[in-house]
Amino acid sequence: MYEEPYRWIEAVANRRTYLDDQFTQGNPLIGVSFTQGILLLTFNRGTDKIYEVYDRIALGGMGHPADLEKLRYTLLDMAHVEGFQRSPSDVTASRLMKNGLAPVIKQAFEEIFKAPYITKILLAEVGPTQDRDHLLSINYDGMFEEQREFGVLSASSSVRGLLAQEWKAHGPLSSLQEALEVSLRLWGIASLLQASNSSSDREEEGKASSSTTSATAIPDDEAIASCIRETLSKETLECVLLDRESGKMETYRALNQAELQPLLPQYFAPTIEP
Amino acid sequence: MGQKGDFLQVLREQGYAVDNLPQPTNGSGLLNHTELTTGTTVFAMKYADGVLVAGDRRATAGNVVMYDRTDKVLEIDRFSVLAIAGVPATAFEMARILEHSFKYYRRSQLQDLSFEGKLRALSTLLKSNAPAALAGTGTVVPVFAGYDQLEGCGKIFFYDILGAEFEAVEYAVSGSGSPTIRGILFYMNRWGTGPVAGLNEEDALIFVLRLMTSAAEFDSATGGVDAQAQLYPIVKRISAEGVRTIPADRLKTIFSEKVLS
Repeated sequence: MYEEPYRWIEAVANRRTYLDDQFTQGNPLIGVSFTQGILLLTFNRGTDKIYEVYDRIALGGMGHPADLEKLRYTLLDMAHVEGFQRSPSDVTASRLMKNGLAPVIKQAFEEIFKAPYITKILLAEVGPTQDRDHLLSINYDGMFEEQREFGVLSASSSVRGLLAQEWKAHGPLSSLQEALEVSLRLWGIASLLQASNSSSDREEEGKASSSTTSATAIPDDEAIASCIRETLSKETLECVLLDRESGKMETYRALNQAELQPLLPQYFAPTIEP
Repeated sequence: MGQKGDFLQVLREQGYAVDNLPQPTNGSGLLNHTELTTGTTVFAMKYADGVLVAGDRRATAGNVVMYDRTDKVLEIDRFSVLAIAGVPATAFEMARILEHSFKYYRRSQLQDLSFEGKLRALSTLLKSNAPAALAGTGTVVPVFAGYDQLEGCGKIFFYDILGAEFEAVEYAVSGSGSPTIRGILFYMNRWGTGPVAGLNEEDALIFVLRLMTSAAEFDSATGGVDAQAQLYPIVKRISAEGVRTIPADRLKTIFSEKVLS
């Protein structure tokens, strides 16, 4: 039945609907470049979403953990074989994305008799100087985007667009604390927008309306802060720094809660003295 | 299918010749080759704070000095060091394979490879290299030292060319200049002022430079210390904090104050 081109297009469109639906409950992931390196930030409910790929490269994922794991191995194999046979400096996020990840994800998406990868991935590569940082994000259909300063994974492209605008409003970030504050705020915005989009979708279904309205306004600061505080009380804040100034070949460092708390006093409840 | 996290398996799948090494053509002349190609001095010894690993910097081919700035003490990861004696091409490749194997394991399995696992990895490489070693084209006799985080102590292991591993109680040596050092260490431990393993860092470093100078005295393939050319051995220190290279400036001061005079 899929021999006719029209049927195939319809099947791919169905896939999009199915996949979009899978991501509505997902946790957004933010990556920002600043003076000291690149910060990746998300929340998790037990399973990590950010992983080391190579000396200067990390990945952040959204979606099904089994699919993410499979693609993580693809990246690790490719990066380590290349780093071994050529040189560690030949391993770049851009090539991992374009030669390794994108074709695999696109093919799986378009082979409509097989299961697609239910995952979106952000690859971050920290450069020796800030203008050589790379952030590449790929969608479930194999479309990828390459940016220098900012990358985001979120449920829908409309959320991504709004976040990109919001990011532009910030000046350059000059410290880890600033990078943390800004990316946490962006995460809060993404999370609220996703939530309002999915609830408005449900309302539409109820009303059987065909027009697609999604939230377009940035939520106010109070709403963002309370969303972050609420998530902090239920989930684990996961932060990874690709440290340009580590002085070692390896740059990946996961920031632990003890390090994060003093940097984000406004979100962590003060400990009660006995 | 190999185990997950096995970098050698990934290399094999990519068509890299991991096991496809030259075979011995006949059994003659093996020992001559072996001796020719291991011209070097590397050793590891325990001291009060951990382990010191040292290596001279000369690379030779027969009577010819090929290079005077070789680094034979290679940092494999944050907690382990490989000191190599033998054919440099094979030895450097082994070091690179180990480095990538440990990195690959840590990143894919999300945990560090255990110290014992690291020892096994080197043993496996040496074993698959045995035909080349017997043919005389790939002899490698390494010393592996590292910090065992499970047991919380520094450890030293040495190997034969076929991959058998032996744990050294206090020190291990390899290369053509090593018999001299082994003799001195034995003497010092038995009749010296106290066990070498009890020395503090400063005294241990003095001792290391004196040992290297003694080895160079009796072995033409060992570079020793060449203060005129600013050439000092590579010395690395392994402790609970990880591997650290002793800066050449410090060796220079110690050498001029405590070894020359």
